[in-house]
Amino acid sequence: MNEMSSAQTMAKDSEGVKIAIRNLNFYYGAGKPSLKNINLSLRTNEVTAFIGPSGCGKSTLLRVLNRMYELYPNQRAEGEVLLDGQNILAPGLDLNLLRARVGMVFQKPTPFPMTIYENIAFGIRLYEKLPKSEMDGRVEEALRGAALWGEVMDKLDASGLSLSGGQQQRLCIARTVAIKPEVILFDEPCSALDPISTAKVEELIGELSEKYTIAIVTHNMQQAARVSKKTVFMYLGEMVEMDDTDKMFTSPSQQRTQDYITGRFG
Amino acid sequence: MTDGTSEHTVRAFDRELELLGRKIAEMGGIGEKMLADGIDALIRLDANLAQATIVMDKRLDMLQREVEETAVSIIARRQPVGVDLREIVAAIRISGDLERVGDLAKNIAKRAVTLSQEQRLPRAMIGLRHMGELAALQLKDVLDAYSQRDVERADSVWMRDQEIDALEDSVFRDLLTFMMEDPRNITICAQLLFCSKNVERVGDHATNIAETVHYILTGEMLPMERPKGESMGGK
Repeated sequence: MNEMSSAQTMAKDSEGVKIAIRNLNFYYGAGKPSLKNINLSLRTNEVTAFIGPSGCGKSTLLRVLNRMYELYPNQRAEGEVLLDGQNILAPGLDLNLLRARVGMVFQKPTPFPMTIYENIAFGIRLYEKLPKSEMDGRVEEALRGAALWGEVMDKLDASGLSLSGGQQQRLCIARTVAIKPEVILFDEPCSALDPISTAKVEELIGELSEKYTIAIVTHNMQQAARVSKKTVFMYLGEMVEMDDTDKMFTSPSQQRTQDYITGRFG
Repeated sequence: MTDGTSEHTVRAFDRELELLGRKIAEMGGIGEKMLADGIDALIRLDANLAQATIVMDKRLDMLQREVEETAVSIIARRQPVGVDLREIVAAIRISGDLERVGDLAKNIAKRAVTLSQEQRLPRAMIGLRHMGELAALQLKDVLDAYSQRDVERADSVWMRDQEIDALEDSVFRDLLTFMMEDPRNITICAQLLFCSKNVERVGDHATNIAETVHYILTGEMLPMERPKGESMGGK
């Protein structure tokens, strides 16, 4: 009887979980782990923000979620990261497929040195063969999704590099959503942007969360407070606290979280 | 549990919060004195003391404005979160409560000026004085709880408000009897009814402050309703 009900609660807990991280350790080489026994879940269509002082492991954690770290030798992860129940750390996983499902937007805008149109179409072509007319539709859809269409619709042949910093970042977001991912990882997406561009990207993150599961690393505490539903505070490679963002920014339960968000250390 | 005792990296922030705390403390001091003097002036029918009490209210109003301006400016410039945010919201609330306490004490003092010509005063004055003492004690306790960040003390103030309410009931009945005895008493008793209502409201503001102190220290709101019953002093 009891076992039944606990099994039911388990099922209820895992409902709506997009990514479950279990006992994750991460090493940049020999020596101490940079992430220590991380356990947390990202829920479907929710924005989860990761905050913490520099070097606390929040970007590292993000890089584990699409195995970006595999680009470098000697870096390794232990534990489990379950994407819809499937362990993405398992050997033999198709990394390209994983990165199509889990897209990433970086700190500095990184448009390819090609036209705006090609910046979007390039990624789509890696995964799908589409006739021109359909491709046009997908490019427009992606640019609309990134709230950039109105600004670039009559200059799709211009170089992606000709855009402003904020536009470039939205182009990168468009490139990410073009291949229809399920999860989008943002690593400090606004740190190189002016306040207006930042506001646009934040607005966009809110809209994107209706379709995608989002994780965002930010140094800007107010940004975390504004855009996320859940906030994770990390320190020295450990997760100190995870809670509803409202709770974290009004009365966090851990003293270290309190000290960090109120500007008493870090 | 989560008192922000350690210093901020930006130390000017600490100084601003300290300033806010000092202003609240000054407001509390003035509020307490106005209440005590207002009641005293009423009981002793001392028109001079009453006038002095009325004048004090100006300073209280000014301080409340300063608290609000400082708080708004801190919010705009520092985007406080966590315990800092709770502190600042609390400062705004408490200064509002204390400003109202000042208004109520001033109102009692004004009535004391009017009543100072009276010859015969009802027995209810004793109950009224007792109410005043209780309210002053509640106010003092809750301000101590605020300055010492003592959640238990704040909670006990919050629990004790019923004593004042019970006394107000008995003062009300006394005054009613006195009015029925002789219609010429009605004017003075009407004035005293307002005074007792004012004191009762001071008690309410003290419990508001207790709720706010509880919020600063725990991040949680006290329930809407106080648990009823239990032995509450008096009768």
